[in-house]
Amino acid sequence: MSQDTLLDLSRWQWALTAAMHITFPAVTVGTSVFLVVCYAMYMRTDDDVWLRMFRFWRRIFGIGFALGVVSGIVLTFEFGLNWGRFAHDVGPIIGVIIAMEVVSAFFLEAGFLGLLVYGEGRISKRMMMFSTCMVSLGTTLSVTWILVANSWMQTPAGYKRVHGQFQPVNWVHVIFNPSFGIRFVHMFIGVLIAASWFIAGISAWYFLKNRHLPIARRGISIALGVLAVVLPLQGYIGDNVAGYVQKYKPAEYQAMEGNWDSHNTGYNLLVIPNQGAAKNIWQVTVPWLGSAVNKDYSGHTPFPGLKRTPKNLRPMMIPTFYGFHVMWFAYVLMLSFAIVGLILRLTGRLYNTRSFHKLLVGVVPIGIIAIWGGWVVAETGRQPWIVYGKLLTAQAVSPLKPAAVLTSLIAFMLIYLTLLGTYVWYVARVVRQGPEEGPVTEPAIEPVRGPVPSFVPSPEGGAA
Amino acid sequence: MRLSDAWMIFVFLAFAMYIVLDGYDLGIGVLTLFERDDRRRREMHELVAWVWDGNESWLVLVALTLWAGVPLVTGVALPALYLVLIPMLWSLIARGVSLELIEQHSGWPRLWGALFGIGSLLAAFCQGAAFGGLIAGLPAHAGTFAGGPFTFLHHGYAVLTGFTAVALYVVAGCAWLYMKTDGDLQVRAARIGIAAVVALGAGTAASWLLATSAGPVVLHPGAGSRLGVWIVGAVVLAAGVSLALGSFAAKVRAEWLPAIATLVIYAGGLLLAGGLLYPTLVPPHVTVHTASSPHSSLLFLIIGVGIFIPIILIYQTYGYIVFRGKVGGTREATSA
Repeated sequence: MSQDTLLDLSRWQWALTAAMHITFPAVTVGTSVFLVVCYAMYMRTDDDVWLRMFRFWRRIFGIGFALGVVSGIVLTFEFGLNWGRFAHDVGPIIGVIIAMEVVSAFFLEAGFLGLLVYGEGRISKRMMMFSTCMVSLGTTLSVTWILVANSWMQTPAGYKRVHGQFQPVNWVHVIFNPSFGIRFVHMFIGVLIAASWFIAGISAWYFLKNRHLPIARRGISIALGVLAVVLPLQGYIGDNVAGYVQKYKPAEYQAMEGNWDSHNTGYNLLVIPNQGAAKNIWQVTVPWLGSAVNKDYSGHTPFPGLKRTPKNLRPMMIPTFYGFHVMWFAYVLMLSFAIVGLILRLTGRLYNTRSFHKLLVGVVPIGIIAIWGGWVVAETGRQPWIVYGKLLTAQAVSPLKPAAVLTSLIAFMLIYLTLLGTYVWYVARVVRQGPEEGPVTEPAIEPVRGPVPSFVPSPEGGAA
Repeated sequence: MRLSDAWMIFVFLAFAMYIVLDGYDLGIGVLTLFERDDRRRREMHELVAWVWDGNESWLVLVALTLWAGVPLVTGVALPALYLVLIPMLWSLIARGVSLELIEQHSGWPRLWGALFGIGSLLAAFCQGAAFGGLIAGLPAHAGTFAGGPFTFLHHGYAVLTGFTAVALYVVAGCAWLYMKTDGDLQVRAARIGIAAVVALGAGTAASWLLATSAGPVVLHPGAGSRLGVWIVGAVVLAAGVSLALGSFAAKVRAEWLPAIATLVIYAGGLLLAGGLLYPTLVPPHVTVHTASSPHSSLLFLIIGVGIFIPIILIYQTYGYIVFRGKVGGTREATSA
């Protein structure tokens, strides 16, 4: 009993802290690419609108990055704190991969962020451009290594077991494990999408308020342009990810489509499963569509059901099914909105359709929600395994007192709730303050003993 | 030299870099609690704001060099130190967030300012307590921790090392302020520095005596033969403490001298700790060699991390060069 409680509490703590962490990179990775675009355009055109955009988005990027750093440190320690047995067993592989993430990506981001945020007036434009690129490269490399590590847990390869410990035999097979490539592309496009809705929504708000229109036009145009290209691409990639799940993790595939028996040729939109009795209490199914999803348009190919997996090795259907469907329904919505945006653009109405601007403001977090959903499928669909098919989560947990984990879980809940509230409040405040009014120029470079400049448009009424 | 011993160089480097770099910025955070003047607190904040995340990266690297290279250490020590490392994480969160939010205000916002100070203090204390809990020994069995949630306290020994770490970081913070500020802030840094150095000397001496004579540390069988290392460490440490004390007391013209003295103190402390423990990592049972990752992991690590560390040092140094000189310009003056 106590062992189950400990496992559940430890898993909830991981789920909470990981979901909070992913929220920030979901926005900052794409925003860093956007900052590169803004500064590159500024250097090319010398148009100060780009510089003001750069400075404005840099502030929003900065706080997201800081929160990403502190919430990331928490995860680094939790690998050992809550999952000590896992730390011991996979350290020679996962520890090494994340160590590579730290030295190649994390340091790079943090090292150049100081220059990016505080460097104006001390470094040249070229150096500023370089720093921005390095921060962006760092965030991208970070996604890469994290996806290597997590994909290895989904499809372990290139190792041998020695006294229970996973030891690398072939690093190429470890890194380029069967699911890494497709899952990396999927996640990278996912963060570009999330950041694009974020940028589009904030830009749209300025249209509604009739403020900072030059900046809002460029923001919305770039963001919706990116979305029009990458959303269809993500559909194709996502289909391939489902293909890997079907091939390598059949139990997850059975659970995420919401079937117990293997004769449903329809497609489940909503289910209320009873895990113990291995059946759905209630379900909404579209006939024929399930077979079509499996590329059989005659309507005779059913989905495989979860009863094919032994009872003690079945993932929970509720989080697996709904994680997947939240992502999938969000995708359908996002694709529709992007198409509407494209039509408005082609008919020259993108900048003056207020209802569409209102919609964009309303869907700011939609990309983040889709990413949360995707990770819920990946993590709960892999259960009861922590390393798929090889190491059970129940064997990986640290032997702590459940009361200790409960205490830390409650505290993390309160802290992260405050953190999320603060983040939203902060971004809203920066958005209300808005970018600086033009025209602006960069300060002259004063390399030694220059004060560290700050580009916050003097808050609290200017007098400071 | 075995590959696992070679990897210890990286662990040591990450650990030393972390305490040297984040030590001073945690110390400055603690010092904001003793400062009443808003302008001076802003200057202190400014010294930390651009650099804290880069410095904390080294803490992540400490955790990862251990996990990747000697996974048994992570598997045993982290669960054992749960109740002290979790509050450290909370403190680092509070501190990082308040640093960014102070940036958004003029003056010194009360709540965020207090969180920055208290977060820094608690993080420093927890790190010292974790280190004390570790060197005093954590029982391991079958690849994981085999004690209770409060085993790490060792009858309060961890509290002593916690306070010693706070004193150490405050000394480092004072030395950094002494070098990077001028006027009354510099004078105050020297004055607080004297008290902090005295506390540090006393704390270190007490920690050392308790660790070696009365227990609780179970010394490695070979540790006694390292008397030479202990003596050198003690002499270096004493020299650093004296130098810091003297240069703060005399308010030396060479403003970098207290910072040098701090480095000497760190060097002495690391020699003592290394001489006490090595090759044990988690007393009494876990050593470098029993905890080590296999050859294939260590080789990959040494090559991979070995390539990146010099690059990291280059751009971090570049950052320090860009932001060299004193702080203290009025921030608003350049606001466009």
